[in-house]
Amino acid sequence: MATAEPILIADDIIAGYLPGVDILNGCSMEVAEGELIGIIGPNGAGKSTFLKALFGLVPIREGTVTLGGQDITNKRADELVRMGVGFVPQTNNVFPSLTIRENLEMGAFQASKGFQKQFDKIMDLFPDLASRHHQRAGSLSGGERQMVAMARALMMDPSVLLLDEPSAGLSPVRQDETFVRTREINKTGVTVIMVEQNARRCLQICDRGYVLDQGTSAYTATGQELLKDPKVIELYLGTLGA
Amino acid sequence: MTKRIDRRAIVRALIVFVVAALAVFAVSTIGSTAMADTPDAATAVAQTSAIHADAETTEAEVTVDDTAADAPGTNRIAQNVFNGLVFGLLLALASVGLSLIYGTTGLSNFAHGEQVSLGAMLAYFFATQQPVSLPLLPWEFVIGWPLWLAAIAAIVVAGGTGWLQDRFLWSKLRKRGVKMVQQMIVSIGLSLALLNLLQWWIGPDRLRVSIAIEERRQVGPIQLGDTTAVSIAISIAVLLAVAYFLLRTRLGRATRAVSDNPALAAASGIKVDAIIRLVWIMAASLAALGGILMALYDSGTKFDVGAKLLLLMFAAVTLGGLGQPFGALVGSLVIGVVVETSTLWLGPDLKYATALAILILVLLVRPQGILGRAERVG
Ligand SMILES: Nc1ncnc2c1ncn2[C@@H]1O[C@H](COP(=O)(O)OP(=O)(O)O)[C@@H](O)[C@H]1O
Ligand SMILES: [Mg+2]
Repeated sequence: MATAEPILIADDIIAGYLPGVDILNGCSMEVAEGELIGIIGPNGAGKSTFLKALFGLVPIREGTVTLGGQDITNKRADELVRMGVGFVPQTNNVFPSLTIRENLEMGAFQASKGFQKQFDKIMDLFPDLASRHHQRAGSLSGGERQMVAMARALMMDPSVLLLDEPSAGLSPVRQDETFVRTREINKTGVTVIMVEQNARRCLQICDRGYVLDQGTSAYTATGQELLKDPKVIELYLGTLGA
Repeated sequence: MTKRIDRRAIVRALIVFVVAALAVFAVSTIGSTAMADTPDAATAVAQTSAIHADAETTEAEVTVDDTAADAPGTNRIAQNVFNGLVFGLLLALASVGLSLIYGTTGLSNFAHGEQVSLGAMLAYFFATQQPVSLPLLPWEFVIGWPLWLAAIAAIVVAGGTGWLQDRFLWSKLRKRGVKMVQQMIVSIGLSLALLNLLQWWIGPDRLRVSIAIEERRQVGPIQLGDTTAVSIAISIAVLLAVAYFLLRTRLGRATRAVSDNPALAAASGIKVDAIIRLVWIMAASLAALGGILMALYDSGTKFDVGAKLLLLMFAAVTLGGLGQPFGALVGSLVIGVVVETSTLWLGPDLKYATALAILILVLLVRPQGILGRAERVG
């Protein structure tokens, strides 16, 4: 995997919300095509901010992001969607007053032509949603919303998918489902960059993990290596063992 | 697509409405016994000045309307409820844009009333046979277009002001991240500036957009004029068109998506700024249409009609559910009917008080407004 062409490169990103306050100070990442990347780190480390910066929602002050060799630093979100990047935010990731179907329609807003075909295709991935596609997203449970959010992001057939804590707030069974589904989506050829609180589970399924701390990408290794790394165990996994 | 408007919400709206109406009725019967010595005068004034805010104009029309009100076979209550529905429809036209702007941008636009006035003033400007002029230009001229053409021109120009405002003011403030309270204060300033501008341009007098005198016919227990009938038809058609746009078109659904969650809309590839620009144009056009139809319905208008309407518009939008696209419609109808029927028992000067009372009552029962939804969290 690591030998494949890098599709996404983030080079020494410095970014923040307010002028003069940098949340990210030197974040770097190299992602190969088809990889499943897990980002772990303590609360407030800047994981969400990093994903938002990649997606053009937080201004990058220094550093560059390239996608397939093209500079995409600070590009507008709608342009990135067109270029094949999908993003599922950590919170508020559905349109509550729109139905499930309308949510997905918004996901494919820029490519409305083949909507029905694409809709059917994505619904095959989420059979639970298919039967209730006229229900308002605001009335769904947390797990169902998470599914809608992911389905929405898949509507444009992204080549790179950014997921911010897709398992947060779900029951253990639902969490497992989410990880399995993420892996399945990745197997179809989508490069996935996933931020996760559930560090152990995340490192188990991902190809490579990044540890983010205080706005800096501290280090990277394969998921298996990180699981065995004494420092990672001490800081993020808590205890030894399964 | 009534599915999504949720029948339960409508039933709830009706219940709230009935409760509110009963409350007003109770309060007003108590009130009317207090002023029992002059019941006839009170009701006559109430009848005629239902929607005319200023006392001096109602005097002018008492003569016209008095004969109508006393015509045999006219049921006062039915007539007032009907007037209320008509007024509600026109109020809905005027306030739906206020609700759309609030929904998509979060701004409570205090200058929306002036958009209503602007529509009426522009229609007068294009239609009147009197000489008119443009601010700062020395010469006078008569345009005198037929009413329909003048109305269309007024709506187009007003829509242009919506575009202009967003292009050169609101979009800039949004981009700079100016907070909502600050933006609201800008809108209050803009409201005052526009109000003065309109007065300076058109003058302080009451104006008639159309000089035709409306023939009234007896329809069942009510009296209905031709202009009013046409106004009703136009407002229903336009409101249906707005509903169709929001529910059935891709752009309309994107508008609702932006209302729901602008950040996510952007992350989905929707051009949020373009949608908001469109909303501003629509809001200004609809407000102008509302202003024009109201000028016809009231058989007169003034540079400050919108300013006087602003509170009722805010009440209607809040009552219906802030930011809910159909909330403005439901809220307006409720406010319209309540305000008009209350004038049967209470003086017309109290109509803002009645609107406020209804607003508070409904919010106590349903804090999120009639159609507003309390979203589940997590
Ligand atoms: N919208 C925002 N405006 C200002 N500061 C923010 C905003 N969102 C997050 N932050 C700050 O950025 C830092 C990193 O937050 P975040 O990226 O959400 O961390 P993580 O996702 O790793 O838990 C925190 O200190 C947080 O307070
Ligand atoms: Mg986070």
